Amino acid sequence: MKPAPFSYYRATSVEDAIAALSGADGMAAVLAGGQSLVPMLNLRLSPVDHLIDLRPIAALSRQEETPEAICYGALTTHAAFEDGAVPDGTNGLMRYAASHIAYRAVRNRGTLGGALALADPAADWLTTAVALDASVTLTGPDGQRYLAITDFVVGPYYTQIAEHEIIDSVVVPRRSATERWGYYKVAPKVGEYAKSLAVALVDSEKASARLVIGAWSDVPLVLEASAIALLDGAKKNDLTMVVQNELDLKMPSLSPAERRLHTATAVRAAEQTRS
Amino acid sequence: MKQSVSLTVNGRPVETTVEPRLSLADFLRLELRLTATHLGCEHGVCGACTVLIDGEPARSCIALTVSLSDAQITTLEGLADDPAMQVIKQAFHDKHGLQCGFCTSGMLISTRDLLKRTPNPSENTVRNGLSGNLCRCTGYQGIVRAVLKAAEDLAAS
Amino acid sequence: MGYSDLNHSDTKQGIGASVKRNEDARLVNGQGTYLADLEIPGTLEAAFIRSPVAHARLGAVKVPSEYNNHVFLAADLDFAHPIVAATDDPQFQSTKQFALAKNKVRYVGEMIAVCIAPTRAQAEDIAQSCELELDELPALWDMDVATSPDALLIHEHWRDNIYLKTDVSVGDLERARKEATVSLSKSLSMGRHGAVPLECRGVLAHHDRRLNELTVYSSTQFPHVLRTCISRALDLPESQVRVIAPDVGGGFGAKGNFSPEELTIAALAMKLNQPIRWIEDRRENLIASPHAREHRYDVTVHANNDGLILGIEAMIRVDAGAYSVWPWTAAMEAGMVVGILPGPYHVPAYAAKSQSICTNKTPMGPYRGVGRTGACFAMDVMIDALARELHLDPADVRLLNLIKPEDMPYQSITGKQYDSGDYPEAARKALDAIDVGAIRSRQATGEKDNRLIGFGMSSYTEQTAHGTAEWVSRGLPVVFGYEPALARLTPDGKLILHVGIQNHGQGLETTLAQVASEELGIAVADVVVRHGDSSVSPYGMGTFGSRSMTMAGGAVSVACGQLADKVKRIGAHLLQSTADAVTLFDGRVHTETASVPLAEVAEAATLHPERLPEGEEPGLDISAVYEPKRSTGAFSYATHACVMAVDPGTGEMEILDYVVVHDCGRMVNPMIVEAQVVGGVAQGLGTALYEEIPYDDNGQPLSSTFLDYMIPGCAEVPNVRMLHIETPSPHTQYGIKGLGEGGAISPPAAVVNALNDALKSLGAEITQTPVTPLRILEAIESGTASSS
Repeated sequence: MKPAPFSYYRATSVEDAIAALSGADGMAAVLAGGQSLVPMLNLRLSPVDHLIDLRPIAALSRQEETPEAICYGALTTHAAFEDGAVPDGTNGLMRYAASHIAYRAVRNRGTLGGALALADPAADWLTTAVALDASVTLTGPDGQRYLAITDFVVGPYYTQIAEHEIIDSVVVPRRSATERWGYYKVAPKVGEYAKSLAVALVDSEKASARLVIGAWSDVPLVLEASAIALLDGAKKNDLTMVVQNELDLKMPSLSPAERRLHTATAVRAAEQTRS
Repeated sequence: MKQSVSLTVNGRPVETTVEPRLSLADFLRLELRLTATHLGCEHGVCGACTVLIDGEPARSCIALTVSLSDAQITTLEGLADDPAMQVIKQAFHDKHGLQCGFCTSGMLISTRDLLKRTPNPSENTVRNGLSGNLCRCTGYQGIVRAVLKAAEDLAAS
Repeated sequence: MGYSDLNHSDTKQGIGASVKRNEDARLVNGQGTYLADLEIPGTLEAAFIRSPVAHARLGAVKVPSEYNNHVFLAADLDFAHPIVAATDDPQFQSTKQFALAKNKVRYVGEMIAVCIAPTRAQAEDIAQSCELELDELPALWDMDVATSPDALLIHEHWRDNIYLKTDVSVGDLERARKEATVSLSKSLSMGRHGAVPLECRGVLAHHDRRLNELTVYSSTQFPHVLRTCISRALDLPESQVRVIAPDVGGGFGAKGNFSPEELTIAALAMKLNQPIRWIEDRRENLIASPHAREHRYDVTVHANNDGLILGIEAMIRVDAGAYSVWPWTAAMEAGMVVGILPGPYHVPAYAAKSQSICTNKTPMGPYRGVGRTGACFAMDVMIDALARELHLDPADVRLLNLIKPEDMPYQSITGKQYDSGDYPEAARKALDAIDVGAIRSRQATGEKDNRLIGFGMSSYTEQTAHGTAEWVSRGLPVVFGYEPALARLTPDGKLILHVGIQNHGQGLETTLAQVASEELGIAVADVVVRHGDSSVSPYGMGTFGSRSMTMAGGAVSVACGQLADKVKRIGAHLLQSTADAVTLFDGRVHTETASVPLAEVAEAATLHPERLPEGEEPGLDISAVYEPKRSTGAFSYATHACVMAVDPGTGEMEILDYVVVHDCGRMVNPMIVEAQVVGGVAQGLGTALYEEIPYDDNGQPLSSTFLDYMIPGCAEVPNVRMLHIETPSPHTQYGIKGLGEGGAISPPAAVVNALNDALKSLGAEITQTPVTPLRILEAIESGTASSS
């Protein structure tokens, strides 16, 4: 299971990477952690003529803090979050989410930017980013632009990344200290991709709540009505009904078994904020 | 089109030219004849190919040699004199933590890293911590016993 | 770091001691040499072009002209005879599998061409550059499709798409039907999956010009038998063929076949007079290594109100895939199910029909447990279903029907000779260990987290180390009737054992040494076991069917026993005593007052024959062959008991407790016995909960990498609590019985029984494996048996 031939280029800066992307004839791809891309290359599932390595670019591994948000370089690894080696303004949610991605050896190399660029609907980072109202900074030949994650990832494996653009960084707004989070992941075995994943954020003092369900066949869904019910203190059975109804509305193609699953996941994440 | 790269393998500097598509696993095994690292899937799932890149466990089957300029690679062979690894190997022998041996190199490397980060792990932590290393023979019971014994022995030493 | 650096001190060494393993020295240091680690100068690496479609007429293969000498097709290997695996039943419809496909392809993954190049990557480039002319035909992708009345014939000269039908009826089934107060019928099924050893298959063939031998390295479980296959297929004298199994990273049956890949690589190396290697990658392993387990059962149990079984009727269908695998044949699995379905239970009347069905899927081959896993699943799931129907405890129904120890030896209704054992005792011990009472209380109380608790159990009896009589009755092309051993004491007083089995994780380099130690009083560390090389060992059958410890251990025991007699004669002479007055231990020959080391005896026998007693021949190389006194098999058995928690919201399952009460006769090395059982349980849990290669209606396999196909990991397999019973077999050396497969037989039944116990309050029932969380939810949603 060996890849088809490709050329390799070590980018020295973001501008250099973009120039290489723009100048490449044939299919070009950027290499971040390689944990998803290289298996695809080995399986000869995605032909690539030119691989542009972003890892030498130090700027992409840095983090910048402002009072409102933390800006993570796209190449920040899952392990960096897991180990608390990078700041976390989400009361530990990002650290928890990262710790449950795949396996340690994968987390040592896999990156936040890489995960969002691939936009696998089951990716832990995707649902988490949607819950956290994250946004991505994209740098391309025409400069930089910013997209909310929900405007960036618009379908399974489908992002709004433009030709010759790369994800530069991911901006995550700081959460209030009074906010509580819940995270429930259902996976067939430890380290596997989720079959259902829900993130809940509730701040009673600030009267805000957010409930997101992901890892189904499409992009993560924000369950607004359910979040309101959660904020209102709905009892578990009532909350379950609201979630079920909202799923019926927003995920009409679910089988009864799937609806049961996603309902349970969403409710459990929600319940975690109450304990 | 081959490209040159300089890296360090088991403490020795290596300068070589390789095709960009050559995985670190194949480089180690075919060019350097370091065959302790095994290939079980070549898509980063089974963990048989686990080595240390700059001291951290990584899948060598999905690491491209050409991208590892200035990296320090350590394989099981390179840990022969490592005191912690010697304790771990003895524990695997004592507790029957291997059968066919194919997963063992990767399992030992992941174990060493796990115990370095969590010197006194619970059984649950061990089981979750080794979830990225598949074994088809042992059913893991001997491996878990070995890791817990190694933790004890390392703490005592 | 060498062997001596590992602290290896053990005081007890012989039968029954948990001696640590000789083979660890190289394996734990990463110094094992597996097929992909071998180095023969000038080797070219091979990549196969495999069929991307399930059923098609094969036209031309377009090869770019620059690769003409790098791509080989069927016509290039016409000198190689095809693989034919037929039973001796005249009704069996046979297949011919050529090295490379001719004219037609019949499963996704079937080999069409082989490409060679200095590296595997380059060989794959060449493969990718070729174009195939394929005229697709409808895919017979399922048993039902293949056996429908107007189904296209996969092998055009056949009557239908069925390798073999069998029909067995014993006892008075009419009476059973009449007398039964309950007749319960169910349809059960097991999903298709693979053996998935961590090391994939591989072959490296080259012509050794010094020895004038075609040397074929293969990650195989039976080197001698493979040598015979290759020599016949290539018309080479067997004395000019050598097969070597290097270190093998797991086999589980998938490496115990004569495969088209072995045929092709050997043929190509011979044709080109060049070393050629193929290393199977994981995608090939999941698609093209033989598949396992896909059975469907329609079972009816006739019983009285106490749950006493009066009769069983079963229709057993096995999806055997597109070709018959050598030597087992496409009919063996169904035949095994028919023979062992009654299991450890007393069944007075039995009627079983079977069909081994040909489909456009990867051929099916043996995988740990083979037909026994499915048979146990069918029987034990039915027993629990019967218990639920009668509102009885499944444990009580099981105990009522288990064959009693006083009935041993017992001839089953299918003619199997169960040699010894106490099946009810194993069941009772399991119930006790798992504390059924506590579980029932817990169920009555309910869980705070709303999970449902279930208890399930399963009992099996397993034919192991069966010899001539059994294999003759199966009608295979080969009868595996014995095992050899050559025991050689070297001048320095150490021992080399040459055996015909093939160790690939079972610890035989240690356990066979323990047998030698038992006979000769020599330290296990001083015994080397040589296996896996057809030129180094006498002709043996290899490792499969839980046979090695009993068969090879028996042979080693006989050879070493004879060697011990000779050593005593010589040693006594050296000590001026008599042979009946000396004993062997600690590597020496002892009288009450003096001793000599084995080295001194060995030196006399080899380098100083003048020191031998009168009439004693020089040399200390003794050969023996062995088969148990009865070749109908030594029956190991066990009861597995399992407690599961099921989450009705997410379908997630957790194994809260798993107990095995196991009897494999006299245990040679309890540490290794336990590990073999746990390893088997892990695979059984894989069958029960995780592993599946489904096919779509185009005959495309849907799990072809580890991204889809899951095997249990460290966090999925629970701690297995084991209890042992040792009921010796009356027919084997030391009373040992085989055990390698047993652990993998009961888990699907025990797990599904536990799940059905948990789910019964919701009116949900599981009747298929693997049980995924989604299938749990589907069963709950439908409130009935889950449908496939």
